[in-house]
Amino acid sequence: MWVFNSVIGTVFDAIVWPVRGLGPWPVMIEVSFLTGLLMLVIFRRTSNQDGIRAAKNRIKAHLLELRLYKDSLAQQLRSQGRILAANGRYIGYALKPMLVMIVPVVLILVQLNLWFGSRPLRVGESALVKLKFAEGGDPLKTDLRLEAPAGIEVETPPLRIEDEGEIDWRVRARSEGSHVLVFRSGGETFTKSVLVGRERMMKIAALKPGPGLTDQVFNPGEKPVPGSFSVASVEVSFPARKMDLFGLGLPWLVVYFILSIIIGFAFKGVFKVEI
Amino acid sequence: MTHPLSRRDFMKAGLGAASLAALGTRPGFVQKSFGKTATPRKILILGFDGMDPGLTDRWIREGKLPAFRRLMAQGGFRSLETSVPPQSPVAWSNFIAGTNPGGHGIFDFIHRDPKTYIPEFSASATEAATKTIRIGNTIFPIKGGKVRNLRGGKAFWQILEEHDIPATIFKIPANYPPVATRQRTISGMGTPDIIGSYGWFRYYTTAPKEIREDIGGGEVRQVYVISNRIEAKLPGPVNTFKKDRPTAEIDFKVYLDPQNPVVKIVIQDHEFLLREKEWSGWKRVRFSLIPTQSVSGICMFYLKEVRPNFRLYVSPINIDPGDAALPISTPESYAEELDRNFGPFFTKGLPADTSALDNDVLDEGEFLQQDGFVLEESRVMLDHELDRFDSGLLFYYISSTDQRQHMFWRLFDEKHPAYDAPLAGKFGGTIEKTYREADEILDRVMGRMDKDTLLLAMSDHGFNPYYRSFNLNTWLRQSGYLQLTNEFKQEDLEIGFPSTDWSRTKAYGIGLNGLYINQKGREANGIVDQGADTDNLVREIARKLEEFKDPKTNDQVVLKAYVAKDIYTGPHAGEAPDIILGFNRGYRISFSSPLGRVPKDVLEDNLSKWSGDHMGAAEILPGILLANQAVKADSPALYDLTATIMDVFGIEKPKELIGTSIFKE
Repeated sequence: MWVFNSVIGTVFDAIVWPVRGLGPWPVMIEVSFLTGLLMLVIFRRTSNQDGIRAAKNRIKAHLLELRLYKDSLAQQLRSQGRILAANGRYIGYALKPMLVMIVPVVLILVQLNLWFGSRPLRVGESALVKLKFAEGGDPLKTDLRLEAPAGIEVETPPLRIEDEGEIDWRVRARSEGSHVLVFRSGGETFTKSVLVGRERMMKIAALKPGPGLTDQVFNPGEKPVPGSFSVASVEVSFPARKMDLFGLGLPWLVVYFILSIIIGFAFKGVFKVEI
Repeated sequence: MTHPLSRRDFMKAGLGAASLAALGTRPGFVQKSFGKTATPRKILILGFDGMDPGLTDRWIREGKLPAFRRLMAQGGFRSLETSVPPQSPVAWSNFIAGTNPGGHGIFDFIHRDPKTYIPEFSASATEAATKTIRIGNTIFPIKGGKVRNLRGGKAFWQILEEHDIPATIFKIPANYPPVATRQRTISGMGTPDIIGSYGWFRYYTTAPKEIREDIGGGEVRQVYVISNRIEAKLPGPVNTFKKDRPTAEIDFKVYLDPQNPVVKIVIQDHEFLLREKEWSGWKRVRFSLIPTQSVSGICMFYLKEVRPNFRLYVSPINIDPGDAALPISTPESYAEELDRNFGPFFTKGLPADTSALDNDVLDEGEFLQQDGFVLEESRVMLDHELDRFDSGLLFYYISSTDQRQHMFWRLFDEKHPAYDAPLAGKFGGTIEKTYREADEILDRVMGRMDKDTLLLAMSDHGFNPYYRSFNLNTWLRQSGYLQLTNEFKQEDLEIGFPSTDWSRTKAYGIGLNGLYINQKGREANGIVDQGADTDNLVREIARKLEEFKDPKTNDQVVLKAYVAKDIYTGPHAGEAPDIILGFNRGYRISFSSPLGRVPKDVLEDNLSKWSGDHMGAAEILPGILLANQAVKADSPALYDLTATIMDVFGIEKPKELIGTSIFKE
């Protein structure tokens, strides 16, 4: 799974690379633009365009009936029923392309989350480091230790929660840089990155997954924790990143969907796609 | 035509009946601050609450306040005549309105409804929604519901606004809710917390019996540690959207490490670790009232101990400046702008939690840590305001000077009944240190002054020790002016005079300095005729009060019993208490008497940590005034500063203002 994630990540990085220096909005616009176009292509290739066109025409015709036969209650009811039926057909035609689109959209969202989900810690800020054990792991019996580099201070002793299979620490950023936390148990180690610095476009993996497949799909930013540690995940609570628009902090997911839909509708004529 | 209620108007209408102060309409929504005129001169006023001229002068002479010394050299140092009585809301109102209390109507922290004799806050009043619709268990406010600022007269920044002169007024007391203006203002003393009180902490502990049961200003909640976990609730405002008015609450969990002195607190979307003796910083919490309505607040957690006894302090929940459900600034966006720049900040009127210290929930060091956050926040925001202060007037308020003198006088003065030598060794220098910190703030400001700026450093009143408590109502009872329904009952410890026989009571005390005659036609059960009878009784009681001596010390207890008719002028003069007690140095009203209790003894030693005060005669508690321009007035008063502002900006003094510019002979 890591190889697959690396390939997807590399492709995405290459797409983002030309505009990443310009800030979050150009990156978001570029990705939304490409996504909009990709969705149009997928929609056109996987949907029944003639069926969609026919269903939409039928809806329009029945809407016209509603206006023309205002005095006939029976006709009004019939027309409304037919509109509903045509709508059902329309939704049925759209279902297949939607299902096909889910796969690339999820992969894009996962990658976007790495770029837009979190911002780096600022110097002086603290974060929670949460380590969750896999089934069978016991936080009270483990010899797992957290070692921090010079730029990161571990401020608390470990907080072990037996019922939750969890160990927490609080760390504080002391200097800018890409720091690496080391978790050591016996002679073995694994790491988790912690980014500290000014807010700029960079990938941040808040969660390092365990060996489980689903976790790896949704958290492709770092190599999974080796299975020998019985660790399900390690997460650093980076602050959420917002898309700044005239002082308003907008959630990136909302911005992405709005932009993608706008671009999709704007270019549907160019691609001759019936939506 | 009716206008639909906005979300916040709706919220306020709903919160209306929640508490005395927890509701209000905002002044009109204005996006931008006011004032386009570039003034040739600017005025910067630093308001250090409670800074005492005697202490300031002493430490200037000892070289401990170099910035004050420099300022004194530029324009002189005067005692600033305070208000009668010298309580902060009264004194600051004198400055705000440029009048004596007869002009603005604030005579005390507390006044009373003459129809019920029930004590009420004097600075603001709450009105519940006047029209509601009930659907099932849910009540929807339709109309009304607001909080009103009861201060009369025009605030000086409103007058400046009329002349297009910009002003920023930072946390001036007695301005909650902020009066309608397009100037940039944020409310200070008088601003409630989210439950509508003046500060209500929560203390979660496994050993609740260690704390007195009758604590004021907070609540102790017992918790149990089960499997290294505690489950508790954080209470918020009363939910007036519900028929039975339950308290809105938030569940939270605390996880304890089996051995290490560290816990994790999980509350809503916050998850954070605290070590013992650590503060959490601000956490935003949101109380859900009905599915579409909620109230946001901010609070701090302090972990005192994990084991053997768990002790967690949660500060009063302040109104969230980023999403204020109640009006705290003009324009509304000012508080939001500060929140965006600095994150959450103290919005409760007097932010330091003196109740927690007084009740042994926080110790001296912990209290000073918390008040240190307040002071640091003030410093940072002052820099922000100085950065953009290019015209008009900037008023900036510092509360720590007042709060720390209240709480630390007992460790500074060996004669105080609550003096504690070991503690004094550690904290006896707190007041001096606070004055030095005030000096640092002044130094910071002076370092950024230009030649066109008039700088005034002032305080609203001075300070003196609070050794002995005077129970006014007990004195009135023993003097035959107040009668209880049961002749054999020695005391009445309930608030609001429940056992007072009004048919035989001629006078009663409410508030920190106020004495009222039980007048016919004014009080619900008045027995003293208005006119000559009342006047004679007032003079008689005033004389007896001034003659009364403390049997323990032989000192006069009430230095001046001011007769309201003699000292107040203006449209609100008739609303004043009939007599205002000006205590002698070392004396103050007790904690029982202001709310209408009648304890057993007339005088008691003050053993509380609230050990310094300023309820005395105005003559012995002036504030300070220093300026960077020669002050010509020999005995300036607070209301003279208002006239000075008009004079400096070339505005003709409105007729309501009674003062004179301090720069005129």
